[in-house]
Amino acid sequence: MSKSISYLIRRLGFYLVAAFAALTLNFIIPRMMPGDPASIIFARFRGKLKPEAIEAMRQSFGLTNDPLLVQYWSYLKGILGGNLGTSIAYFPEPVADIISSGLFWTIFLAGSSLIVAFSIGTLLGVFIAWNRTGRLDTLLPPTLAFLGAFPYFWLAMLSLYIFGFSLNWFPLGHAYGNEVTPGPNLSFILSVIYHATLPAFTMIFVSLGGWMLSMRNTMISTLGADYITFANAKGISSRLIMLRYAARNAILPNLTGFGMALGFILSGALLTEIIFSYPGQGYLLLQAVKSQDFPLMQGIFMTITFAVLAANWLVDIAILIFDPRTRK
Amino acid sequence: MKNKIQHSSIVTRWFAGIISNKKALAGSCIILFFVFIAIIGPFLIQSPTDFLGTPLSPPSFKHLFGTNGQGQDVFSQTISGARQTLFVGFSAGILVVLIGALIGGIAGYYGGQTDDILSLIINIFLVMPGLPLMVILASWLPPGPGTLLGVLVLTGWAWNARVIRSQMMTFRNRDFVSAAIISGEKNIRIIVVEIMPRMLSLLASSFIGASIYAIGAQVGLEFLGLGDISTVTWGTNLYWASNDLALLTESWWTFVPTGLSIAIVSFALTLINFGIDEVTNPRLISERLWRNKVPRNMITNGITPVLKKHE
Amino acid sequence: MNKPLISVEKLSVNYITDTGSVKAVNNVSFEINSGEIFGLVGESGSGKSTVVQAMMRILPPPALISNGSVKINNRDILSVVDSEVLGFRWKEISIVMQSALNALNPVLSVREQICDVLKTHKGLLGTLAHNRAKELLSLVDIDRDRLNSYPHQLSGGMKQRIVIAIALAIMPPIIIMDEPTTALDVIVEREILAKIIELRKKLGFTILFITHDLNLLLDFADRLAIMKDGKILELDNVKNIQKGGRHPYTKKLIDSIPSASGARQKGLFSKPESLDFPDMPILEVQNLNKIFQSSELFKKDKLIAVNDVSFKVSQGEIVGLVGESGSGKSTIAKLVTRLIRPTSGTIYLNGENKKVSESRNVPLEYRKIVQMVFQDPFGSLNSIHTVYHHLARPLLRHRLKSENELFLYIVHLLETVGLSPGEKFAEKFPHEMSGGERQRVAIARALSLEPQIIVADEPTSMLDVSIRMDILEIFAKMRKENNLTVLFITHDLASARYLADRIIVLKDGSIIEEGASEDLIQSPIQKYTKQLVRAASPGWFHSLYKNSDNKESKNDR
Repeated sequence: MSKSISYLIRRLGFYLVAAFAALTLNFIIPRMMPGDPASIIFARFRGKLKPEAIEAMRQSFGLTNDPLLVQYWSYLKGILGGNLGTSIAYFPEPVADIISSGLFWTIFLAGSSLIVAFSIGTLLGVFIAWNRTGRLDTLLPPTLAFLGAFPYFWLAMLSLYIFGFSLNWFPLGHAYGNEVTPGPNLSFILSVIYHATLPAFTMIFVSLGGWMLSMRNTMISTLGADYITFANAKGISSRLIMLRYAARNAILPNLTGFGMALGFILSGALLTEIIFSYPGQGYLLLQAVKSQDFPLMQGIFMTITFAVLAANWLVDIAILIFDPRTRK
Repeated sequence: MKNKIQHSSIVTRWFAGIISNKKALAGSCIILFFVFIAIIGPFLIQSPTDFLGTPLSPPSFKHLFGTNGQGQDVFSQTISGARQTLFVGFSAGILVVLIGALIGGIAGYYGGQTDDILSLIINIFLVMPGLPLMVILASWLPPGPGTLLGVLVLTGWAWNARVIRSQMMTFRNRDFVSAAIISGEKNIRIIVVEIMPRMLSLLASSFIGASIYAIGAQVGLEFLGLGDISTVTWGTNLYWASNDLALLTESWWTFVPTGLSIAIVSFALTLINFGIDEVTNPRLISERLWRNKVPRNMITNGITPVLKKHE
Repeated sequence: MNKPLISVEKLSVNYITDTGSVKAVNNVSFEINSGEIFGLVGESGSGKSTVVQAMMRILPPPALISNGSVKINNRDILSVVDSEVLGFRWKEISIVMQSALNALNPVLSVREQICDVLKTHKGLLGTLAHNRAKELLSLVDIDRDRLNSYPHQLSGGMKQRIVIAIALAIMPPIIIMDEPTTALDVIVEREILAKIIELRKKLGFTILFITHDLNLLLDFADRLAIMKDGKILELDNVKNIQKGGRHPYTKKLIDSIPSASGARQKGLFSKPESLDFPDMPILEVQNLNKIFQSSELFKKDKLIAVNDVSFKVSQGEIVGLVGESGSGKSTIAKLVTRLIRPTSGTIYLNGENKKVSESRNVPLEYRKIVQMVFQDPFGSLNSIHTVYHHLARPLLRHRLKSENELFLYIVHLLETVGLSPGEKFAEKFPHEMSGGERQRVAIARALSLEPQIIVADEPTSMLDVSIRMDILEIFAKMRKENNLTVLFITHDLASARYLADRIIVLKDGSIIEEGASEDLIQSPIQKYTKQLVRAASPGWFHSLYKNSDNKESKNDR
């Protein structure tokens, strides 16, 4: 079996184990809390929720009187069949439906910001490491490092304040305006872009520094390699050396880091959504917390976990393409 | 007897090296300043929880940073908020490094099946997204610093464990470790006396990185309302600012000071890490010296400069 | 009289470090004539690589050329504008870098790395470039299929040949070869050198050859320069240098290289009066096997590092374990010192079965009897501890000395290995000492427990040539005075010839041949042993000069 395929399968195997671990964690947490989860629910929500809702939540957790393993098995069957339980905040809507409505927006916003930030940050890192004399190298790293020190959502608040409320250049929230109809029409698409600009910009600003710095670091250590000296000696053009010799090698550790940082970055994206009332998973998460909607919270956890695992596997494929050493 | 003297001077020597670096020094001073304020500050200011003034009034002489939506003094709130946030943040940092060193160190040193199992656990925790997990845990548990600490450590330990494991593996393969084994040294002693002192920089920057993460994540959780909203912390300050519609009412002073404080602290910590980087990699410093010595116009990438004498 | 092809005048190069400006090359001048093979010899730190890299101006920061001129075909590369520097590179002068193992870009294929030079300098594209690349590969006896290979798929010898092919691509008048074979096994090394000489005869380029191995150059260079500490100490043609040269350092270099063939030189190392060894061996290894498994998901890669190896060593004997990389000699060292466990097999110490395959725990007594000296003097000492700590720890662990007796004993130990005054050295940290001094400390550490056996794993291959004999003499002296048994592991047949009483030849994990050192060298029986002896002998090239058909060796995987 070729080395690449065996590598991908091995990685897939790991992700399956991780997904499984997450599912199990999800199952265990309510049952690990001090006291019996059913009573906790009852105590917390008594008076605040209709009895049907409490009963539904009980069902969502699979909190029956069956032995633990039976509960676990029916829980697994449920999840894998797409049943994530019923929401409390949006009772009686099923969690799966609520999440799927917001999933697209999160992927759109977080995904596009991530790709843009990674691309620009990486390119900046390449140039800055190459031209270490420039003023850019003395100014940019500390500035971007400072920007990156702000919490995502705080910067979101600030930019919303300045560009939204004060200057009125951008809308104050939501994914698209009220006046357009969703669908493949131009005004809708433009409205989506217009509404996404500010939140995306915020996320890009905060994360840019991190990408740039790590690419810069790997570039600097790559530039010390013997094959760069040899490439110089060969007399080939500077641009060729910078891109095909240095950058193509320097980006590899960053790709690995990219996969690992995904989970972390997604967290920041979720919080940013909240500030902009962007109808994605972040916003749903806030509602879930406010109403102690555990089924929804757990549903979001599972969804995001699966998304991150899938994205990591895609990154593994990318590494396979970029690094011939992982292939045969 | 001679050995004991050497030991304390390994740490002191390392420490002296770090402090001599400008970036690390600057960052440390800023942090010390904030820690000082966090400890002493609350005794010197007016109560942050009393409703003293008209809500949402802008900065004035009476209230340096203005008042928030409840009429509380924002300046006092910012100063008081430092205490718990910094305390939980640094505590989480220490715990994360300890756990990371323990698990990562054992995995990296012993290898084999031990490593296979521990690595799997590390990788699983690493790949799971932190915020949703933290949210669930924090929602179940009673709000407060203890919950925050636990939740932060649970989601944050894996990264450092992986980095430490990596370095431990590198050292494990070095000849001086083999030589110690052949001399008959016990494994624990090798880890503690021979290897760990060489990982001081890594452990220090792990601590700093973990603290940065802990402060940011903590604030994020509290912003969502999962902290104890009756206490005054930087995170709850932002929670209330958002709840009291700071943006809509254009009361920027209710969230800017806290945010700036968080950013300055995080940035100062990053600065220290930059400094540690430079000390452990003296090539960076010698390159900077080289760049200062050679006139800028003579530097072309890939061509060794020639010091021209007068023609 | 022809003007020289290259004329280097008063070249000086500085390195800017955090402790100040270091002069790596100090006022170096020499000339190279067209068509000759010019050698540059020096030990590590002599500045020889810096000189040639400065000649092409490819020295990375923090290097700075502070003085001098380098005229190639009468144009001074040091005084032209930066854009013109590129015009020299590869067209007028090219370089085969030290350890080509790292000279190739890991993410590009061989073809891409040959074709980018062709495109840049000759404007060749597409099929034309492809064909030229194929030609170049066949020049160095590499199969054209390899064009699509990546560096990690190639052996060391193949990578070196490909780098040579790239250096020849535009047919420059002069090629610099910077230690092109140092990292390779000695048989592969000789083949590559033979190929270089053959190509030179065919294509007629000039060679500037850099090495630390003076013996090598005495074989085939025309003129050579000897460098030390950034200066040229001797510059003459090879015949005069063979006679001993003018500078005492030259003589010292020539003397420090024992010969692996021809008559035996006398008195190189101390020898005991009688070489009668007891019948009962102190160390016996029986049917030792070590298999390394790397587990992929569906394919298990098995590496048989040690294959059914058995041998005996008597007390007071020095046995040389000779082999190239991959022969298993280092693995055997780790097995005998019990750093790793064998897959199967037994080890007997003083007649007792030590149950090495079964138990994981190594009793302390074993550690007292068997000690080790490692190859890398930089890696075997912990940079954070003083010499005193390194020597005291084993003694304290084995409770051989009390705290009071330690200091005196350590000072005595240091003096024994030639580090005098002992008190001064005891306080030093590793980075404050030279490579040779560190290795002496490592030997002192191994001796501190008064072991019966020392396993020395290539103890001098990372040291400067001029001190190797002194270090090996320590082992000889310890054997003579204290009846120490030494298992001497090396790839260098010549030093094994003189230090060891008996030699065991290893290849691919198995013992090929075994016998008394002098007998093995003078009359090797097995084909591989003969190859080894021949490769280590001078004059190897002369036979190749006559023999002009060289096919791709089976040794290149």
